[in-house]
Amino acid sequence: MSVLPFPSFLDDVKEKGLKRAALEGVNEVVERITVGMNVQDIREALRGEPASRKPNPRLQPHADGFWLHMRPSYFNRSVTGLYPTFRLGWLSTYFVFFETLTGIFLMIWYTPSPEVAYANMLNIMSNVPFGQFVRDLHRLGAEAMVLIVFLHMLRTFFTGSYKKPRQFTWFTGVILLICTMFLSFSGYLLPWDQLALWAVTIGASMIEASPPPVVGTNLNLLLRGGPDIGANGLLRFYLLHVLAVPAVLFIFTGVHYYKVIIHGHSLPPAAENIGEDTAKRVPLDKRVYFIPDILTSEIMWIGVTTLILVVLVTWFFHAPLEAHADNQVTPLGTTAPWYFLWIQGALKLGDKVLWGIIFPTIVIVFLLVIPYIDVTKSRRFAHRRFALSVAFVLLSLLVFFSYMGLPEFGVKTSADSEILHEMLMEPAHNHMGTLRPIPYDQLVVGQFTTAQFETNEFGGDIGTALDSLNSELAESDLGATLLSYLSITQHLPITSFNFVPIPADATELYDGISVLAHDITQHPAEMPNAWSAVIVTQPQAGLKRVDVVIIWDEVEIEAGVPVLDENGNPVFVLDENGERIQRINGDYMYIHADSQYFPAPGA
Amino acid sequence: MASIAAEQTKAAVQTKAEPKVQVAAPSRREFLYYIWGASMVMLLGQAGVAFIWFALPRFKEGTFGGIFSFPPDKIPANNTAPFNEPSGRFWVTHFEDKLAVLYGVCTHLGCLPKWSDQNTRFECPCHGSKFEMSGKYIEGPAPRSLDRFPVVVTFADGTTAATSADGGAVAIGDRRVVSVNIDTGRKILMPGHGLPPES
Repeated sequence: MSVLPFPSFLDDVKEKGLKRAALEGVNEVVERITVGMNVQDIREALRGEPASRKPNPRLQPHADGFWLHMRPSYFNRSVTGLYPTFRLGWLSTYFVFFETLTGIFLMIWYTPSPEVAYANMLNIMSNVPFGQFVRDLHRLGAEAMVLIVFLHMLRTFFTGSYKKPRQFTWFTGVILLICTMFLSFSGYLLPWDQLALWAVTIGASMIEASPPPVVGTNLNLLLRGGPDIGANGLLRFYLLHVLAVPAVLFIFTGVHYYKVIIHGHSLPPAAENIGEDTAKRVPLDKRVYFIPDILTSEIMWIGVTTLILVVLVTWFFHAPLEAHADNQVTPLGTTAPWYFLWIQGALKLGDKVLWGIIFPTIVIVFLLVIPYIDVTKSRRFAHRRFALSVAFVLLSLLVFFSYMGLPEFGVKTSADSEILHEMLMEPAHNHMGTLRPIPYDQLVVGQFTTAQFETNEFGGDIGTALDSLNSELAESDLGATLLSYLSITQHLPITSFNFVPIPADATELYDGISVLAHDITQHPAEMPNAWSAVIVTQPQAGLKRVDVVIIWDEVEIEAGVPVLDENGNPVFVLDENGERIQRINGDYMYIHADSQYFPAPGA
Repeated sequence: MASIAAEQTKAAVQTKAEPKVQVAAPSRREFLYYIWGASMVMLLGQAGVAFIWFALPRFKEGTFGGIFSFPPDKIPANNTAPFNEPSGRFWVTHFEDKLAVLYGVCTHLGCLPKWSDQNTRFECPCHGSKFEMSGKYIEGPAPRSLDRFPVVVTFADGTTAATSADGGAVAIGDRRVVSVNIDTGRKILMPGHGLPPES
């Protein structure tokens, strides 16, 4: 008779005793959770023994369970090594989940509004426990994902795996590449820093160039949410970043992986006869079962990849954050992220419709249709010399265009502006002005000069050299011009010059100014006889101001390049008395006592 | 109905068997499905258009910009560095005895070019377009010279001069200027790489 009015665990206990009933209960629960494998089956799998009962319980989770029905129950041994897959497709999937997870964490502390987004970033980076860690992981993961997805595409091309019957798999892969790049790009705007604002301004302006004008104008308005990027634009990019593009990405990830499973992982080109596709017919002796080998290997790869990312963000990589977005200043050296440098390079070539719209479209369409153009049967390298050569030419072009995207190509400004920028720039691209990370207490109030490093004519005596400069400035027109430049143009209220040697204990200030002293001598044709002053003042308690002024002899400049005479010397510009004219350029920064500028790791 | 389906199946089988393709005329049911499908496509299209309309930002023409009164003493001396007014996104430039107000946004992709004193030209930090003091295109990918805002200059003798309709600069010579009014609500596009004829 049953203990309760229905059959229950208690009946089992009564019949078999507590221990045995409990063990059988656990066994049953395990079998239900794993959809087919009981404790004994799992232990056999982990011990590397064959399954002791039939039908093979290790196939059951693939047949009946939700999660493993998406995974094949066995792989071909020739695709389980590093070659031919290099694990790149698997890694791409890893990053899809990794980015989703870290992204959701970041959403907890982020509001997409220009009023607070940047403050959110500062909060995440300095106040939230593990905030900077999660942000660094998300950013590093994003860049790694772009790289991995691209390498995955290259690998697929080189092993000819896009060929029949896998054309459409390749097609969806290209869509995933585009999604990945757009996800990375749309994430750019969210911190609302200078990089964000200008990268996205350029991106939206490219879309604005789409012909015909009515399309371009309206696409641009749709994306920016107004004539200029503001609150609406930020919200739209946020929605694209966290909802729309991930949705497309997830759908196509599903399609892509389904196709991979349907056709089987393509074998190494040499492993099968030309024109054959035997991926789905895996001989018994070549089968590597998912449970336990592939499963445990994948768990290990999750561990290893995550470890690598954690090590990188702990010691070698921090996600950059630039100054707060300012729509009145485009920073010098505004550069696209490295994976878009090729477009930035192309854009420098001319017409924005051609290079900003038509050219990328051709690239994408070309990638999409590769498997439908190249219908040759053989996947062997030796039979694909033409296709491989085209690929290498295109890769070279990619590198070349990317180089053209760097500021070094066509965007260099005059040497004085470049040097001032190098000295004082706000953090950008994991890089900041040389003088910025000098500790507050080493920014000694006083007037310093690079003349300290040019003391040969004074027998190496710094004191004499600076005294000479001070008295020269006190008497000459240059001194007066310089003072009026500082007080009127730069609003620096000083009335006289008194350059002193850099204090011996301010070593970082010394190093910074010696870099400046070196840099200004690197342009003898453009900035002859250059010297520089670094003036540290303290406008209020806890705040210091650092002025850098460069003075040099004016030379004739044509189209941004100094004019040289027949001996290769610069041509000086002379005033009516036949004297050389001194040019002055300067810039300044404020450093707060609590500023936390520090060089990025690895910079 | 069953007989039609059976016939269609037969037709399909026959198609496989012999090279000649036989297609049965659409039945009423099939035809109505096509009509229904087409109306679904149209509905989706309308929904798409409605979404675009929904998402398009609404603002009135002229919401942005306005009349800036520019202090005449800030007009740079002839052929010297132009004056930047970031709040209005414009540069006041005085070249060859003429005055023009340049819209400070690069005609290429929307970055803000800086004036380089050393190189005496505007240089865009993004893709390297360069412009003369007058805003005239020098080199780089920009499609046009820097665009201009219309400006009305009032002289000490009470006469005024204004930017021409196509954006030609205002000749001021050495006459004393008492007021400068800039309309940043109306941008005048430059004709390609050149400049409009002078007024």
